Amino acid sequence: MRIAVPFVFILTLLVAAMYLDRPRPRADLVIAMTGDVFTLDPQRMSYMQDLRMARAVYEGLVCTDLEGRIIPGVAKSWEVTEDGLEWTFHLREDARWSNGDPVTADDFVYSWRRAMLPDTASDYSSFFFHVRGAKDFFDWRSEALAEFASGGGGKEQAMDLLERTDTKFDELVGLDAVDPHTLKVQLRNPLPYFLDIVAFGALCPVHRETVEGYVSIDPMTGRIQQEHGWTKPGLLVSNGPYALDDWRYKRNMRLKANPHYWNDDSTRSRTIEVRSIEDPNTAVLAFETGAVDWLPSVNAEYRADMLEQRKQYLATHEQRLEELLRDGHGIDHAIAQLPKPIGFQRRNIIAIPTFGTDFYGFNCRPMLNDGNVNPFADPAVRRAFSMSIDKPRLAEFVTRMNEPSAGSLVPPDSIDGYSPPTGLPYDPERARAELANAGWIDRDGDGALENTDGTPFPVVDLLYSTGAPRYKDLSLAMKDMWEKALGVQVQMRGKDTKFYKEDLKQGEFMIGRGGWYGDYRDPTTFLELCHTDDGNNDRKYSCEEFDGLLAQAAAELDPARRMQILQDAERILVERDLPILPLMHFVVVYMYEPDRITGLSHEMQLNQYLSRIHRSGP
Amino acid sequence: MAALIGRRLMQLPVIVLVVYTLTFCLAWLIPGNPLENPEGRRPLPEIEEAMKKQYNLDDPVTFYFDYLAKATGVAWVAGDSTQPFDLGPSLLHPDWTVNEILADGLPVSITLGFTSILLACVLGIGAGIVGGLKPNTAWDFFSQVLTLIGISLPSFVIGAVLLILFAAKLGWFPVGGWGGIQYLVLPALTLSLPFAAYIARLTRFGMIEQMKSDHARTARAKGLTRMQVATRHALKNSFLPVLSYLGPAAAMAMTGSFVVEAVFAVPGIGRHFVDAVLGKDLTLIMGVVLVYSTMLIIFNLVVDVLYHWIDPRIQMN
Repeated sequence: MRIAVPFVFILTLLVAAMYLDRPRPRADLVIAMTGDVFTLDPQRMSYMQDLRMARAVYEGLVCTDLEGRIIPGVAKSWEVTEDGLEWTFHLREDARWSNGDPVTADDFVYSWRRAMLPDTASDYSSFFFHVRGAKDFFDWRSEALAEFASGGGGKEQAMDLLERTDTKFDELVGLDAVDPHTLKVQLRNPLPYFLDIVAFGALCPVHRETVEGYVSIDPMTGRIQQEHGWTKPGLLVSNGPYALDDWRYKRNMRLKANPHYWNDDSTRSRTIEVRSIEDPNTAVLAFETGAVDWLPSVNAEYRADMLEQRKQYLATHEQRLEELLRDGHGIDHAIAQLPKPIGFQRRNIIAIPTFGTDFYGFNCRPMLNDGNVNPFADPAVRRAFSMSIDKPRLAEFVTRMNEPSAGSLVPPDSIDGYSPPTGLPYDPERARAELANAGWIDRDGDGALENTDGTPFPVVDLLYSTGAPRYKDLSLAMKDMWEKALGVQVQMRGKDTKFYKEDLKQGEFMIGRGGWYGDYRDPTTFLELCHTDDGNNDRKYSCEEFDGLLAQAAAELDPARRMQILQDAERILVERDLPILPLMHFVVVYMYEPDRITGLSHEMQLNQYLSRIHRSGP
Repeated sequence: MAALIGRRLMQLPVIVLVVYTLTFCLAWLIPGNPLENPEGRRPLPEIEEAMKKQYNLDDPVTFYFDYLAKATGVAWVAGDSTQPFDLGPSLLHPDWTVNEILADGLPVSITLGFTSILLACVLGIGAGIVGGLKPNTAWDFFSQVLTLIGISLPSFVIGAVLLILFAAKLGWFPVGGWGGIQYLVLPALTLSLPFAAYIARLTRFGMIEQMKSDHARTARAKGLTRMQVATRHALKNSFLPVLSYLGPAAAMAMTGSFVVEAVFAVPGIGRHFVDAVLGKDLTLIMGVVLVYSTMLIIFNLVVDVLYHWIDPRIQMN
């Protein structure tokens, strides 16, 4: 009998544990994410899912509408001086925090200042450097901190440094709360896309009083230390359509409508649950059973097949669909009018082109890490390798997602007034000629290429990340194309994300997988990636002419002229120097029922505002 | 007995320290910076340097001792820390402390682990008795095949099949998640199958042996039915090897459940730990390892004590 005792004991414990963990009623809208939100501190955000949550919980000065156009947020209006340097935002009087406090210009000054402090470690602090003096302030503070730490520290000295920092901020930075409802921002140079940056999630305000309760000064380093307890349910004070109701690590997050929000009447879903489902198949199954309303990124390997099922459905109803679209219905609304899919047809999945580009980068350093000369330092070699890749083939047969092929870094038709250069064509013949021009010819008839002094072309070291099968498949296909077209040997080297990223940073590759999403609607969000001093320029490409053009564009006041200069700059990248081989523009795959979900934006940046999304029906 | 428990508890810190040190060395060797995103924009170099300093990521020795002191409460006793067992903030998810993550995830993993072991006992012993009482019959063959499947099929396959069948097609259970008994059934079943299979084999073998033994034959000769012999005599003895297997099995069920946790979207520690290793979240890695190793040592001790209590013939050493 004794043996039963521990079992009964454990059983009682289990029943109690499960009883305490009962589920809550279904929210108006349920979303599934792969991971969890990393942080709810807007100034520290950098992931897409975090920024999406920022737009739900907070509200910035301006927002974007379903088509990506700027609309008022906390600011009801704004104006800019003729030289484009001074912006004045007029904040609405009825904007409130979730505890009832008014949202003031001071809140924005405080929040933006946080991001300008090196102490906060904001990934996007460079965004704030557009404000006059912000970069100087950041540098001054970094230096002062370094000096402080070497000076031995001390509590009083730390407080003194903080005071000096406040003075320095007022003195240097062109950010002013003129009155509680007027914010004046002075810029370093005119920025035609400044409002796009202001709409970015990392520029959302935080509630000063709440945040300051979690701030302390480290007497050893003088740094402002920030603890993050304030982002928890019950403590987080926010100014957006939603307040945080519950948040459990990698389990779920629940939002409820914030009654103090000035535009609360337009918040469609009153409660939202964001569930964390890591396994891509489980996520699809959860959607299929109706437990989840919207999957913002479908990663199941059979998604290409599901997209094919959609294609078949649309083909069946092609005529009617065309009519509906001609009548001005949106694609979702039009599809919702069609008969329900039958058999293996499907309409609840969609691939949406995004503001991102998938690419492979060439190591442009003159020497490789092993001490050998790097053949890819020669732009002709890079051009040759670029022209031997059949991009549409990759999209059709390898990724099977039919992504639009990319000739340029900036996706076409994504930015008003900018048309990116076409880039290099797929032309193996020309590619071989380029390589021969660069001196790489099979001189002794052994099938391998040699240069003028007889050195054979090294085995190409192709680096990719193994996190998802995508890059292994792509690398395999590209290796094949290069070997066939150019007669070179390619060695694939797959590494786990952290290792891959480190190799990329150290220059331990010849060709490496890359990829980039634009943050704001301007070519510079892509082009700066190739600037000599850019922190993300892993290829260490450096071209004075290109850097010069970027500088020239930054000073140019005429928008059309500016776009022209940027186009010239991009032409250097994608037609002459090819530090980057653009492959295709990313698509994102969503799952939702088009007849039940409204308010999702298909605009390329996919800046979804959760408060606009609504599920109808039972 | 008390002396023995005392001795085992004395060993605990030494073992944990060894585990901590080994894990720390391995985790430190993972390249890259946990404060840097796997994709996208890098922080400015000044910020990276400062952050590394703040979390002692620039100096392994300081990190090692500082973390150990805070985690074990030494820093708290010395007055350097406000919290007795401070496992630090997660480096990847700055809004969470490791303590919070463990407090939320540990009960989930323990519930799932214990339930699956209970289920494994019921299924395994049941199948084992059926097979052991009638060896080499159709019944036995059937249970043998089932156990073979249980042992050889990986849990992500079993999990996916169960999900599609019972959650997606039949709708009896929700697809993944946590929060109520209905969420527990499928993952616990999936996790229990390999254990159940092993227990079935142990029970079946024990039953066959016991039913052939002298005392069983004597009992039969005295007039007990086969069933009575089986339940009153054979089962008890054939259960002993199962009992000794339960200790490590329970430990395995609680720590090795990350595949099941991933398939069923169960927010347990196993999944968090794997993510932490992939992202080089040093504080989370070390926190989980410290808590788990301590837990397992205590757990094994409890099993040993229980073992002795259930069957006093067994010597504790």
